[in-house]
Amino acid sequence: MSPPPAPRVHPTRRPWRLCCAVAAGRLAGSASRALGRGGGTTVPGDVARAIDPSVLARLGREARVGTVLVSGTNGKTTTTALVRAAARAAGWSVVANPSGANLVFGLTAAAVQATRPRGRLDADWLVFEVDELSLPQAVAELQPRCLTLLNVYRDQLDRSFELVQVSARLRRAVEALPPGAVCVANADDPVVAALAEGAGDVRFFGLDDRSVSRPDLAPAADARLCPRCGVELLFQAVLYAHCGHYTCPGCGLARPRPAWAAERVTARGLAPVSFTARAEGAATAITSPIGGLFTVANTLAAFATARVMGVPADHAAAAIALAPAAFGRGERVELEGAAVRLLLAKNPAGMEEALRAALDDRPMAIALGLNDGVADGRDVSWIWDVDLEPLAAPGGPALVVVSGTRARDLLLRLKYAGVAPDRLRVAEAPATALDALLAAGREGGGGDTPALLTYTAALAWYQELTRRGAVGRYWERP
Amino acid sequence: MTRTLRLGHLYPLQMSIYGDRGNLVCLRRRAEWRGWRLEVIAIGLGAGDGRLVAGCDGFLFGGGQDRDEAEVAADLRAFKAGPLAEAVAAGRPLLAVCGGYQLLGSHYRTRAGAVVPGLGLLPLRTEAGRRRAVGNVLVRPDPGLGLDAPWLVGFENHSGRTFLGPELRPLGRTEVGGGNNGVDGGEGVLAGSIIGTYLHGPVLPRNPGLADWWLARALAPAAPAPLPPLDDAAERLAWDRAVAQVRREQGGLAARARRVLVRRRAAG
Repeated sequence: MSPPPAPRVHPTRRPWRLCCAVAAGRLAGSASRALGRGGGTTVPGDVARAIDPSVLARLGREARVGTVLVSGTNGKTTTTALVRAAARAAGWSVVANPSGANLVFGLTAAAVQATRPRGRLDADWLVFEVDELSLPQAVAELQPRCLTLLNVYRDQLDRSFELVQVSARLRRAVEALPPGAVCVANADDPVVAALAEGAGDVRFFGLDDRSVSRPDLAPAADARLCPRCGVELLFQAVLYAHCGHYTCPGCGLARPRPAWAAERVTARGLAPVSFTARAEGAATAITSPIGGLFTVANTLAAFATARVMGVPADHAAAAIALAPAAFGRGERVELEGAAVRLLLAKNPAGMEEALRAALDDRPMAIALGLNDGVADGRDVSWIWDVDLEPLAAPGGPALVVVSGTRARDLLLRLKYAGVAPDRLRVAEAPATALDALLAAGREGGGGDTPALLTYTAALAWYQELTRRGAVGRYWERP
Repeated sequence: MTRTLRLGHLYPLQMSIYGDRGNLVCLRRRAEWRGWRLEVIAIGLGAGDGRLVAGCDGFLFGGGQDRDEAEVAADLRAFKAGPLAEAVAAGRPLLAVCGGYQLLGSHYRTRAGAVVPGLGLLPLRTEAGRRRAVGNVLVRPDPGLGLDAPWLVGFENHSGRTFLGPELRPLGRTEVGGGNNGVDGGEGVLAGSIIGTYLHGPVLPRNPGLADWWLARALAPAAPAPLPPLDDAAERLAWDRAVAQVRREQGGLAARARRVLVRRRAAG
């Protein structure tokens, strides 16, 4: 185990420009909240950076211990929340960014809100989730002690374009890590494993338990080809999405041996997961109330990150066991005599894994919500790459509700997936879709019904749930 | 006996991003709903797979990542050019989308000025542009397609600018979107039994008339006849919604200004 890092020494005088940037940013945040323009999750960052472009870099140096960044296509929010909980359990104070505000403006906003205008940033650690494309800049400004890389999937191609370009960005970030920084990387994702080679100190995590593997990659898996040489990868075990145990017959790329390995994994449907994390010759039993096999990977990543930060293993495990699901990450909401499970599904890999876990529980009804806002990706073509055919299988849900601004695209997709028309219902508005789902849940005896939603569709569902008094406002959540 | 159509899927490993699977699913279902079977034959890298081409009734060729396209281009020229040219000369349909469309032409010129030779099936060429054309697209289809729908609707996302030789005609005229090159108003190419287009991903389920165009030619390449109609109510609903979305984006003054800018960038 690495010793807890020594606190950094602060400079004593604060430049006036930084003070102004912080004050103006905080003011903008209060104004934004007062005007009801959302939670003010990025506005303070916009304002503060306009006054002092180096505000994030300067505030980052004021964290008493250091900065941790978490990046990857899926699982950032859950993992970051778990790392934060673990660090707090070890007695540290942590500043984190709220879900979704993961561009440099969002990070800046979070840092500014945690600083009094003439005081210092009040935190031991900054723990931030960072958008993949913003990572090089975030690394350059924040000089993190630890960078955790979860996975690289196709996501919003109209914005971030190709997988190769995204992994090139991540590689640049990894190579720019400061001396002494640790890169915690997913051994099971061949794209991550290949790009993490560039880090000075890389330590891998991965699932060693092959009993939870599945026979084949999904039809449209992103990384069938070796990210290094382009030859078709051989998978000895497929775990989730394009992650598993693999070797490349072309260049010899192989799954690295994980420093943190998950063994004896239990993950069924959306039920709580458990596994044994083996590292450094010690085994720690870990449970999480969040479901899905992908949660095992996120939880293991958070545990590894916490260990790199210096959190004792038992503290980390205890904190992870208690941390609830974050916004739309399998959150269970009870209302009107039924319960819905909200699952963000923003890209092919995310939707496929969420669907797989949701269908494992054999729900009597399920809702899919697809919006084409800028935050969702305006291009909805990706739903054709998702293996939605299991919805048509015998014993599948009796009712499939399609919702969102592009509900009709889902309807078309499901027609071609072979779902019988009498099991399909179009309800574009979240309220109508929610009613249909709840009614089916009540009729079916109160079992949970899952809703798989793109980002702004999930926001709309939360608004509806807030209106009905079932949840609080999202920006007020911890 | 059930008629089986054999669909040659060109380079499914390398050339299949952007929802290309939708086109395959669409052709399979629309064949099945009419009582035929559709068998998918993966045509990958190598000389062996070149021999599979002659046994196919039609072809799909999707988009890929730049890195993979170079490898595919070399393999196409070496092993697939001859049999593919014979197949399309006999009237067998070929739908090529995005990267696949670009590879049908004589060459692709990269930003650095390097020339990557293409399949040379059609006299068209592509040059790397500075900006990507990204967004929803409306295209008025060539009347020769015989489609019922007034527009083809889709999404484009490409930086290459394609120019057709004088003897070629486009698949349609862009009403909204960059199209082939953002300059001449053309989108895609229609040449005999070949369709090339930048409307990526699920262009067939969104425009089922195109799917039936393909199926009719796969079924009877020498004399394609109209197919038995299907219930396309869901297709029409989705099509209406997609068209409305494009119209909405077209609506405001800001949207119009953006459009002009995008055109300029595409032209630059």
